[in-house]
Amino acid sequence: MQADLVVDAKGLSCPMPIVKAKKSIDTLSSGQVMQLEATDKGAVNDFQAWVKQTGNEMVHMDEENGVYRFFVKKA
Amino acid sequence: MAVATINSQELHNKINSGESIFILDVRNPSDFNDWKIEAKHLVSVNIPYFDFLEEDDAVYQGLPKDTEIVVICAKGGSAQMVAEQLDEKGYHVSFLEFGMLEWSQFYNPVTVYEGENMKLIQLNRLAKGCLSYMVISGGEALVVDANRHVDEYTKLAVSENVQIKHVLDTHLHADHISGGAELAKATGAQYYISSSEMQGATGLDYKPLEQFDALKVGAVEAKVLAIPTPGHTPGSTSVLVNDQFLLSGDTIFVGGLGRPDLGGKAREWAQSLYDTVFTQVANLSDETVVLPTHFADIKEINENGYVGATLGAIRASNEVMRTENREAFTEMVAGASGATPPNFEEIVGINRGDIHVTPEKATELEIGPNRCAVHHS
Repeated sequence: MQADLVVDAKGLSCPMPIVKAKKSIDTLSSGQVMQLEATDKGAVNDFQAWVKQTGNEMVHMDEENGVYRFFVKKA
Repeated sequence: MAVATINSQELHNKINSGESIFILDVRNPSDFNDWKIEAKHLVSVNIPYFDFLEEDDAVYQGLPKDTEIVVICAKGGSAQMVAEQLDEKGYHVSFLEFGMLEWSQFYNPVTVYEGENMKLIQLNRLAKGCLSYMVISGGEALVVDANRHVDEYTKLAVSENVQIKHVLDTHLHADHISGGAELAKATGAQYYISSSEMQGATGLDYKPLEQFDALKVGAVEAKVLAIPTPGHTPGSTSVLVNDQFLLSGDTIFVGGLGRPDLGGKAREWAQSLYDTVFTQVANLSDETVVLPTHFADIKEINENGYVGATLGAIRASNEVMRTENREAFTEMVAGASGATPPNFEEIVGINRGDIHVTPEKATELEIGPNRCAVHHS
């Protein structure tokens, strides 16, 4: 999956992954995709809720060796 | 200026002092709806922390300017961020430093009874709905259904100036990690649990509870009788203290009966529960005070501040306790159990001594509300 912007939030704990995500997605235009990587397990639920709340679209998420990847398409 | 932090004890004191306090829980809505801080007169509002990232002042509507706001999240980080924003806007605000993680490990001791020869203390782990007990007499103590933060009991023993002699689990717990064996080891006390709960378990040093009719705590006046009350689990045992207080484990709750389904044999265990209710427990007087190991609703905390009710009151308010038709009774308890406690298989394994986990892992496994009671909604 191709992302227009990759955000590294590994090693950061709540609330920083979403603070970073918010700042980053604000720089994108509609239809572009942000890829965010985080290691904070608590971020998983929160991230999904945030994407829903902000009206963007979670196009894909996966996890490998404790790294969660989220692909969010800006509305 | 840094925003004030508050710890669980301070928060609990504030909630109970009657001063008005407003809780702003900033976790995501699904976590909030699953498990939150509750008290009888508490205003609690859920606005996820990421809503405060938008430059939209609408989010502040409904937050009081004249009441102290305590911000709460899972571990403290998000609450701090929101609290700082509120502080800048002139709100009177503090945040729970380590969030629900800390709240889940907070124990509140309440004296249930104090007589000449005996004192009975209930330790209420409010976030989990877990209750444990210390029976004190003549400088000695018995601890029943200890949770895993064993310091809570050793500290209490020091402040009461007693030595812990006996540590007992009413049954093999599925919803919280027991501190029984560890507490016994730390204090040189004996650890007791019914051996039928521990079949095949190799990792723990315990005395089979069924081999002891009574345990002596200090003065002879503190009579502790072990009464087999199978149903929630086959080896469930209740403890009758001074013919007056029934420490009932998960067999009888203030709000009903224990769930019999966690062993996968709901109907079979429900039959045992029936026999328990209509034989062993039937012999106990209506005056007996039932003190359970869990509660499901803060409404079960009575006006004296502890969770408990007389057997008479429980019989009067729970239809199932009066359902003498075996078939109907079985239907009622086997068919009403709802969601299982989170991670219960792993927790059972830990309590049998088969699995060992780090404290961090233990904390994670225990997060969430208690689900050991049967809810009859």
